[in-house]
Parts: sequence; C-alpha cells; structure tokens
Amino acid sequence: MKRRGSMLVRAVAALMAAISAVPFVVLLRIALSTPAGMSTGRALALPELQITNFARAWELSRMGVAVVNSVVITTGALVTLVVCASAAGYAIARFRGRFHLAVMNVFLFSMMIPGIINTVPLYTLMRRIGGINTRWAMALVLAANALPFSVFLYTNFIRSMSKEIEESAIVDGCTWFSAFWRITFPLLKPVTAAVVIVNGLGIWNNYAQAVFFLQKPAVRTIPLAVSMFFQQYGARWNLMAAAAAIGAAPAVAAFILFQRQFIKGLAAGALKG
Amino acid sequence: MLRRAGSRLHLIMAVPALLLFGFFFILPLARGVWLSLTDWNGVSKANFVGLQNFAEFFHDPRALHDVLITVLFALGSAPLLNLFGLAYALVLDHEFRGRNLVRTMVYLPAIISPLIMGYIWYFILQPQRGVLWQIASSINPSFAGGNWLASPRGALVVLILVNVWQYSGMTMVVYLAGLQSIPSEVLEASAIDGASYFQTLCHVVLPILASSSVKINVITNIIGSLSVFDVIMALTEGGPGYGTESLSIYIMRMCYGSFTGYSTAVALVLFLIVLIPVLVSLRFFRSVEFEA
Repeated sequence: MKRRGSMLVRAVAALMAAISAVPFVVLLRIALSTPAGMSTGRALALPELQITNFARAWELSRMGVAVVNSVVITTGALVTLVVCASAAGYAIARFRGRFHLAVMNVFLFSMMIPGIINTVPLYTLMRRIGGINTRWAMALVLAANALPFSVFLYTNFIRSMSKEIEESAIVDGCTWFSAFWRITFPLLKPVTAAVVIVNGLGIWNNYAQAVFFLQKPAVRTIPLAVSMFFQQYGARWNLMAAAAAIGAAPAVAAFILFQRQFIKGLAAGALKG
Repeated sequence: MLRRAGSRLHLIMAVPALLLFGFFFILPLARGVWLSLTDWNGVSKANFVGLQNFAEFFHDPRALHDVLITVLFALGSAPLLNLFGLAYALVLDHEFRGRNLVRTMVYLPAIISPLIMGYIWYFILQPQRGVLWQIASSINPSFAGGNWLASPRGALVVLILVNVWQYSGMTMVVYLAGLQSIPSEVLEASAIDGASYFQTLCHVVLPILASSSVKINVITNIIGSLSVFDVIMALTEGGPGYGTESLSIYIMRMCYGSFTGYSTAVALVLFLIVLIPVLVSLRFFRSVEFEA
C-alpha cells in the first residue's frame, strides 16, 4: 500500500517517534542532574548539569572491566557461531542424506526451546568442566544457544545459491571443503551479517544466563555490572542513570552507525525464518 | 564430481556445530530430564524420586501462581506487540520525509538490554521521585497517592506495557519487510476493483502477511514472552511479594535455593507451556496457508 503520507500519517509517525524517545530523554535528564535536581517536584524543572556523574558511575560500577568482558564474550561467541553454523549450513544444504536431515531436524525443533529451560542442568555441567566464571565457557554457551536459528539461516541461503561456481572450482582441483572456505563463504556476507546482528544483540545483552555463570566481579558483563551497581547505589539516581546510560551506549552507537545493515539483517533473518 | 573432489572433509562439516550444540544444549537438556526425577539439592547425592517433583509442582501454590503470571504476561504482550507492530508498519509503509528517522527511533528500544530498559522505566514510574508520577500528580493531585508497582495487578500491567513499548519496533520491522515484499500489482488490482484501504488491508494484505510476517511474529512473541526474565528482574524483581514472579524467575530462585531437582522439573513444565501454543499456532498457520 505504497502511497504518499498525508498529514495524519506524519502526525502519527511523529507521535510514535516521541513515544519511543521519551524514556531516553528521561534517562539522560537524570544522568546529568545533581542529587538535589531529582528531588520531588523538580522533575520538570531545568536541571543543573553535572557531567561528572558519568565518570563517577564508570569508576564505581567498574564498567571498564565489564565492557572488556562483554566485547571478549560477544566476539568469541560470534566467531564460533559463524564458523560452526556456516559449515553446518553448507553441509546440510549441499550434501543431502539421513545424517544431515537429522541434524537439521534437531536444530529446527530446538528453535522452540527457550534457553532458560536447560540453564540449571547446564550450571551443574559448567561446574564440572570448570566453566563457571570463565569467559570462554560463557561464549560457547551463548554460541550454542544461537546455533539453531543461525544454521537455519545459512542452510536456506546456501540452498538458494547456485552450485556452479563451487563445481567449477572442483573441476580445477579444489576439494568441496576448500571450495566452501575459498568461494562460498565470502559470498555468504549478507546472511553472515544477519546472523551477527541478530545474535550479536542477544549475546551482548544476555542477562538470564550471565547471572548464573558469571558471578565474580572480574568476569562481569555490562548487564551484570549495571544490575550490581543498582543494588549497591539504589538511592543515588543520578549515578544509577549514568551507569544505565553508559551500559546502553555501545549498542545504541553500533545501531546508529550500522542501522541500514541492522534493519536489513533483522528483516532478512526474520523473513527467511 | 565427488570423485574428483578428493578429500571427504566436507562430510564432517556439520560435526563442529553438532558437538558444540550437543555438549552445551542437548546434554544439559537430557541431564535436566534426569535431574527432574531426583531430589538433588545441588550438593549431596541425587536420589531417584520418580515423578514426585511433578506431583509437587501441582500442589505448589507459588508455582501455579507463577504459571498464571507467565501466561497472563504472554496473553497481554503477544497480541499487543502484534497490534502495535502492524499498526506502526502500516504507518511507515507510507512515503514521507523523515520516515527512516522514525523507523530508527521506534526500533531503538529493542536493541537495548531489557534489563537496562527495566531500570529506565523504574526511574519513570517510581512514586515521589519518578518523572511520570510527578507529572501525573502536578496535573491532578489525586494521582499522587498512586504507586503503579505496589499492587501485583498494577505491576503486571506496567510490565506488559514496558515490554510492548520496547519490542513493538522489532515486530514492526518484520511486518514492514512483509508489506514491502507484496508486489504493487496486487495492490493496484485491488484499488482498480474499487476496494477501500481497509478492504484491501483485510482481504489482500493480511492474508498475504499471514504465512510469513504474522507467523514469525506470533511465534517469536509467544516464545519470548513466556520465558520473560530480564524486564521483571529489573522493574519488580518479581514483587510485590512474588506477585509478578514469572516461571523463569522461579526456576532461578529454586535452583539457588538448593531445590535443583525440583527447579529442573519446573523448567520442563515451562517447556511444555511454551511448546503447546507454538505447535497450535504452527498448525493454525499451516491451515491458513492451505486455504490461501
């Protein structure tokens, strides 16, 4: 129903944008205020700005460590995910057989299982392999949780690609395996982008698993650091808000920088699903 | 062709994914099934108790209450998310300047951790200091006594609204992609036949969307809202009392409270609670597709 928007459409769209923006404005307003600026009856008054809140919150919440941990875990999980899921997707799409059909069905069925369901037994398993409070184990857990959907996306995408380039590489002496890494994998950029974006967000924001497996301050991720900070400094709203704003900033920045890829990736990921 | 391809390495390309998934997903799932049949407390030896945990579940008022909360949360969230997502998508399917900016802003909440989002709403909703509270009470002092998070019912409504507010943009993007994949000839034909906007919407657009966007959104929202965790932890921590405690929060608390065996049994019940509506809606969408 593509048509030019009337005044009404524009007004509704502006309202939608405002509804989405208000909480962010409130967050920044609190994060920038002095302790007195937040007292009763003054929420609507212009604040006295106090930018030092961000530095104090950063320091008190030990956000630096948390940012490093989040980056390490997210990167590790995404690299593992892309390598495993693309290879599996290729095998399932190109070499049909009972084994690959079974693998596909296992993944399809698992897409319906929320991660929280096996978190408790996973906890006991993680304790046994020494994976509690380690970043590598957390990255592997999150990669495993994201596998079904990613394998599914890769399989569908590779099926829709023509086999001819791979086959001509094989005529030239490649193996199927090296044809994949040298020829097919670089062509998978659009679906890899979708996998990285859709799962990267979930992994970066993960809290439900992190709260089980990362308990020491040294391995805390951003959501954990923010929630710990909230429990300790509950009364100091300006610092709490500054910590929340710092915690939200990396995802917001990434989204604004790569928004076209984000929306495309999410839509592609969703519609293929 | 295969003969020439030499190495048979490609035959095991699915194995790394399978090992990773097997170890960190399937194995714990299987272990969870076993643990749900034991009285394990996380430390001492586990004793087999049969289906006792499941029997206990049905006599555990807190667990049954949490099932109700979880289901109510999903019943509130999933339809509203789809309604707002579709309405937003229909608005943004028009062409006007600033459309991409609006889309970006509507989507923005969805990329932030639901935990942090919960905290942001906490600032807005708290009595006395909360921004909304101050605005409401300055308009009409009789609002000033209200605390939306103090009663379980009010808090649940707030949680649903926050969730809907955060994820409408996500649902919208999927609907928008669906709308934009409809060939314009179809819509033109409908217009030539004299159909109004709403007739085209109901009889042409929605049936086309049903097999793709609607299906994806409904299923994603069912799974997502039935396993809700973060936003409740941030806004109410399941309170007041355990008035807004979802089943996934109960699972975590039982696990920490040394009822490990029992908590895995509750997790399996949650799995069924997710699986049933998903299978029902998959079947429903299959029947819709065949008709179309």
